[in-house]
Amino acid sequence: MNAVTTEALSKTFPHGKKAVDRVSLTIQQGEIYGFLGPNGAGKTTTVKLLIGMLTPSEGSCRVFDLDPVQHPEKVHQLAGVVTEHAQMYSHLTGFDNLLYYGALFGLSGQESRTHAEALLKKLELTDAKDQKLATYSTGMRQRLSLARALIHRPKILFLDEPTSGLDPESAKNVNQMIESLAREEGTTVFLCTHQLRYAQEICNTYGLIDGGVMLATGGLAKLRALVSTGMTVTIHVNDETVQAHVQTKDEIPRIVRHYVENGDRISHVSSQEMTLEEIYFALIERRKGEKGDVEHE
Amino acid sequence: MLSMNKKQMAIIKKDLKGIIFDKQQFPVLLIVPAVFTLVLPTIFILLIHFGQDSMTDMQDLLNQLSLGTQETIDPMFMIKAILDYIMPIFFLLIPIMSAMVMAASSFVGEKENRTLETLLYSPLTIRMIFQAKILASFLLSMIISLGSFIVMLIVIELETFFLIGSFYVPGLSWLVNLFLLSPAISGIAITLIVRGSAKAQTAQESQQRAVFLILPIILLVAGQFSGIVLVGPLLLLGLGVVLAAVAVFLMRGSIQKFSYEQLL
Repeated sequence: MNAVTTEALSKTFPHGKKAVDRVSLTIQQGEIYGFLGPNGAGKTTTVKLLIGMLTPSEGSCRVFDLDPVQHPEKVHQLAGVVTEHAQMYSHLTGFDNLLYYGALFGLSGQESRTHAEALLKKLELTDAKDQKLATYSTGMRQRLSLARALIHRPKILFLDEPTSGLDPESAKNVNQMIESLAREEGTTVFLCTHQLRYAQEICNTYGLIDGGVMLATGGLAKLRALVSTGMTVTIHVNDETVQAHVQTKDEIPRIVRHYVENGDRISHVSSQEMTLEEIYFALIERRKGEKGDVEHE
Repeated sequence: MLSMNKKQMAIIKKDLKGIIFDKQQFPVLLIVPAVFTLVLPTIFILLIHFGQDSMTDMQDLLNQLSLGTQETIDPMFMIKAILDYIMPIFFLLIPIMSAMVMAASSFVGEKENRTLETLLYSPLTIRMIFQAKILASFLLSMIISLGSFIVMLIVIELETFFLIGSFYVPGLSWLVNLFLLSPAISGIAITLIVRGSAKAQTAQESQQRAVFLILPIILLVAGQFSGIVLVGPLLLLGLGVVLAAVAVFLMRGSIQKFSYEQLL
């Protein structure tokens, strides 16, 4: 079953800004989908359309076969959402906040307590659970927000920059948790970020968006194929660095043999495929070029 | 409206706890009842008891209240006249103020503290969230009104017993006031806050928008003192029925008009 499907999804705000422009994508259940783009690209607007907070101007979307426009509350029951603006109550403790949201999602008091304890432990917040939220640091709040979004064991998680404000250790911890949720519980993750290296670490599939327009969607191999084929080989020959572009790894031994037969001294050989970051910038450049061509015509 | 489910009960409990433990808002909620249930009746009773020399002024007031003149002035009759005809109007400020403070904190406070978006991500429709919040405000307003009345009655009974030697029996106005007018006017106050909640950015701003609701009360008090109108049980009953109808009508309209997009 598809977790998310959108067809030509568009949103134009009353002041005229087209934040999302005919976005079509499909996400399978259990995928960690990286929705990538710079600030203002349309990521948060897309999330708000998917959870029924905004009504599409054109096109449609479905989350686990539910229409968020018709039944937002049913989508919310299946979804956990972490965004920068979704805060919790400062006058309540971290634990009481989780119990409250557990009750809002229909969990019994006992269920909420058990699950909240487990989540606080996983996110290393057990020591702070009885402190009021007002005393939490930004990173602690961010982790508690993730615990809040997970309190009702959602089938899909919408995460908007979940590791911003986290120290490297906490970020690693959160990433491991997201990966294990997808792997072990089949939770689908819709991850919005502009940190491309971070996305490449944990996502299986990607959607690249800029200016509300979807540039490309698919796995890393598919995205690479859109931009360029092959890889770059780096060889250190006689204390100099030489780079060559090859189509497959099979071509590397031939190049190395050539240097060896010439009596050259080789100290390093490595190959590198295009990173997500390079693919992204290549696609952005291509789009700029296309827009320029259209304007020129 | 009143069939609340467990999820809505969670909102009601959280909102009530929130205001009770709010060090800034809760004292505000108690000041108005304290003034109108402890200070004001005590001043009236003490004035009547110790102000025997100026009883002619009181007689003038009774005349203005159209309660007729008496040959001999019975202090308990005067106290009853004031407590049954003047106090119920002042008392209406209690449900208005409590409902306004609570509703502003409950609706606009969520926006102010950036918790509204999180609440909207819950599996409750906007209608269910609003129902729960309206009921929380209404419950608090009714609890404070009834509680204030009980405290006021105890204070009045103690004062009249020790000063005058007899007990005060509340008139019919209080029954109409507590069970019809106070709920109706609370409903209207809450609705005004709810309607303004999409536009208002802070709880204070939203309270200011609804504060004009106390103007009719001031007019009634002025009318009562000047003898233009006699606010007896019948007039209060009529007023209560009209206000209850207005409250229900306004409330239905106010819940239906919101969408997520307007609220965020």
